[in-house]
Amino acid sequence: MSFRARMMAPLLALFVGAVGYPLLYAFYLSLTSYRITHRWDTHLVGLSQYNDVLHNSDYWSALKVTGTFVFLAVTLELCIGLMIALALQRQKRVRDFTRSFLLTPMFVTPIAVGLMFRFLLNQQLGALPAVLGHLGITYDFFGSGNALYSIILIDTWQWTPFMVLLLLAGLEGLPKQPFEAARVDGASAFYTFRRVTVPMLAPVLVVAILIRSLDAMKVFEYVYAITRGGPGIETQTIQYFTYQTGIQFFRLGNASAMSYLLLAIVLTIVVFLFRRIERSRRS
Amino acid sequence: MTAVRLKKVVKKYGDVGAVHGIDLELQDGKFTVLVGPSGCGKTTTLRMIAGLETVTDGHIFIGDLDVTDLEPKDRDVSMVFQNYALYPHLTVAENIAFPLMARGAKRADIQGRIDEVAAALEITPLLGRKPKELSGGQQQRVAIGRAIIRQPKVFLFDEPLSNLDAKLRVEMRTELLRLQRQLGTTAVYVTHDQEEAMTLSDVMVVMRDGVICQQGRPVDVYEQPVDTFVASFVGSPRMNLIKGVIDHGAFTFAGGVGIEITTSHFGETTLGVRPEDVILSVGGDEGFAGVVEIIELLGPRAIVTLKARGTSLTAVVEASGLSGITEGAGVRVRFRESKLHLFGVDGRRL
Amino acid sequence: MTTLVVPRARRTKSFNPWGHAGSLLLVVAGLVVLLPFLWVLLGSFKTGSQLNDPTLIVFRPNLANWRDVISSGILQAAGRSALVGVITVSISIVVGSMGAYSISRYKTGGSATRFGILAAQVLPPAVLVFPFLDMAFRLRLNDTLAAVVIAHLSFVMPVVTWFLIGFFDAAPKEIEEQAMVDGLSRFAAFRKVVLPQVAPGMGASAIFGFVLSWNDLFYALILAPGNAATLPVRIAGFNTFRGVELGSMCAAILVSIVPVLIASFFIQRRLVRGISGGAVKF
Repeated sequence: MSFRARMMAPLLALFVGAVGYPLLYAFYLSLTSYRITHRWDTHLVGLSQYNDVLHNSDYWSALKVTGTFVFLAVTLELCIGLMIALALQRQKRVRDFTRSFLLTPMFVTPIAVGLMFRFLLNQQLGALPAVLGHLGITYDFFGSGNALYSIILIDTWQWTPFMVLLLLAGLEGLPKQPFEAARVDGASAFYTFRRVTVPMLAPVLVVAILIRSLDAMKVFEYVYAITRGGPGIETQTIQYFTYQTGIQFFRLGNASAMSYLLLAIVLTIVVFLFRRIERSRRS
Repeated sequence: MTAVRLKKVVKKYGDVGAVHGIDLELQDGKFTVLVGPSGCGKTTTLRMIAGLETVTDGHIFIGDLDVTDLEPKDRDVSMVFQNYALYPHLTVAENIAFPLMARGAKRADIQGRIDEVAAALEITPLLGRKPKELSGGQQQRVAIGRAIIRQPKVFLFDEPLSNLDAKLRVEMRTELLRLQRQLGTTAVYVTHDQEEAMTLSDVMVVMRDGVICQQGRPVDVYEQPVDTFVASFVGSPRMNLIKGVIDHGAFTFAGGVGIEITTSHFGETTLGVRPEDVILSVGGDEGFAGVVEIIELLGPRAIVTLKARGTSLTAVVEASGLSGITEGAGVRVRFRESKLHLFGVDGRRL
Repeated sequence: MTTLVVPRARRTKSFNPWGHAGSLLLVVAGLVVLLPFLWVLLGSFKTGSQLNDPTLIVFRPNLANWRDVISSGILQAAGRSALVGVITVSISIVVGSMGAYSISRYKTGGSATRFGILAAQVLPPAVLVFPFLDMAFRLRLNDTLAAVVIAHLSFVMPVVTWFLIGFFDAAPKEIEEQAMVDGLSRFAAFRKVVLPQVAPGMGASAIFGFVLSWNDLFYALILAPGNAATLPVRIAGFNTFRGVELGSMCAAILVSIVPVLIASFFIQRRLVRGISGGAVKF
């Protein structure tokens, strides 16, 4: 075997074993009637699981919840993240320390973050509702109508730093001279931001949005820690719903079909992401 | 009218001084070139005039206005950068239009002006393209277009031709000059290339280590350099500088025969003589003896490097006068008397 | 007309509202990041009744919660998390660096491999977990750490490889070519010349991969929910509404947070450089 093949072989083997094979097996499962409680009674049922899923209103509701979540969370993270990244860039003195500090939330175990906020925002025991109470505001963070937005805020708390990381790297990679030219050409700070910074940052913005969106679709820990999908099915995201179907209701075949449909969506986005990255890698 | 004036301008980065209090008066409509080796402070000075660097001490005036504390956009200057600094995401037309659009103009209103500028620089067919599709020379023209569209009070050029290949550089030099004469705008130009400085400037300012060594017309700087630095910096090939002693009306070096000099000075002196004023002949006993080491033929002329009494000298000889002068040959060397420069121990002109 | 020139000692800059707003924003952001941690820190030292008062700040700290938490086996769970993390990352680095080198220098597999690695990083865990669960049952590996390691490999290995490809791309080819001309075999050149160059990047990727593994709940919850529970799973177990347990939960949260915070301090600078320099090219 050639050198490059020998170097590649272990990775390839591991890939096939830990990713490729399970992936195919998952597809197979989605075509069966596998239930954990009746494992011996599994038989192929063709595409009926997919049919089942697509006709399941809860599934569509989960997609909608996840979609709303991703859209709002990523938008918030992008806007706040950009502002913080710009502010950090201007900082000269304590920049490294400030950056280290502001990035910490993204490294904390999500389940810990979920629990942390579960009680921070708890009506009886939490500090924030207590403070709001002193100001005369009563707001039930996890009540009906609010729970999803609270989860979005938690995600924002944890993942805006990730956006800041990507955007800061992007900002620091921009050439400096067009900005000096803009200063001499007479552009105000806002005009420069709108017409020079943002357009030049566009490729980074797209990649940041795509990466964060893919991640946000997998939201599970906050739901598991706090709302368990409730109130009702208001915070039942797709990953949680799949988990419930497979592990709590034991319908693995069904759950596999569900996750494969999600995979289709994810792969479409990945193709976009990939093309973007490859295009700028080559240029 | 003085277009730009610098009064005792100082620039320090922390404790490190880059510019040590310079005074400069630029005449309206003239092309002034700041020239010097890297690190001499010329670019810093230019950027201070632009407002891209803050002034540690001193004042800068544009016209009658003290602009020292003003942002670049309020100074009514425009700048052409070494790397062109074009906006990569905008087309050529949008790049050129940017200074006007940034101040609120509408594209439709200024389209005529854009076309005018493009025509003047012969880049009309490129208006719809993006910078990365253009060659270096074309990008440079776009940068110049962006600078002239506003009709500012002063043009600032930061080594704009350094990134072009040699031939293009010479062509663009002429273009720039023509444009400036046509528009009559005051121009300040920074370069490390003394040839560029000589050809472009109405006034040449030679800088070194943050101070101005000499300023004046190119011809004056060339013929009357104020110290050994300016003397060797300006002019190519470099002026020959020979250390020796003047005694009783004769300059001697390396323990040999003296060269007659009319001067009241005596003592240690450096004699400067430009290569084109070094006259070589074969045979006879004029001047003193030397041995040719290397001959570099440049077409109509040749640069001859020779050794005389242990000292290396450079001479420029017309190609037609090269007979008998070959590598390794012995020659007689003398200097053109009217073109001798004398510098004292401190390097300054005597 | 002469302008009066007055020598000035200091230059006054015009008021820049954006700069000040920026600093304010950073301070607010800093507070928003800090306060939840502080609240949890305080809570871990409170007794049951103290916890009923969420705004209590000054009190005598009580270590009961910490004793409870530590005796509840959380440190063992942390140990298991660490073990899984170390094994996963070690395998990923070794296998990944070889593969990444092959991809970077020889373009093995072309675009398809890079695409595959990217796709593997972002696969929803929901897809792979069920096969893993079934496989675990069949191999009698359910509720063991081995199953968790394999599951973790499925996402840590692609991430580590992805970063390493970027770092290898950034390392100049000429140096190992020089080494080969000087007499080293290709693998020796890889080991002795290239690896040292990307060592800092490898370190950062390793820490990043470790953190990813350490933080995983989904796979660990499904594949090893009982005796082989990792730290996130144990912490999820503290999930309760009763005020008495809240304090222990706070302590448990801190146990999981602290190691990661320390790790993150070290790598964040590398990550920024890595991302802007070579790892993920925009």
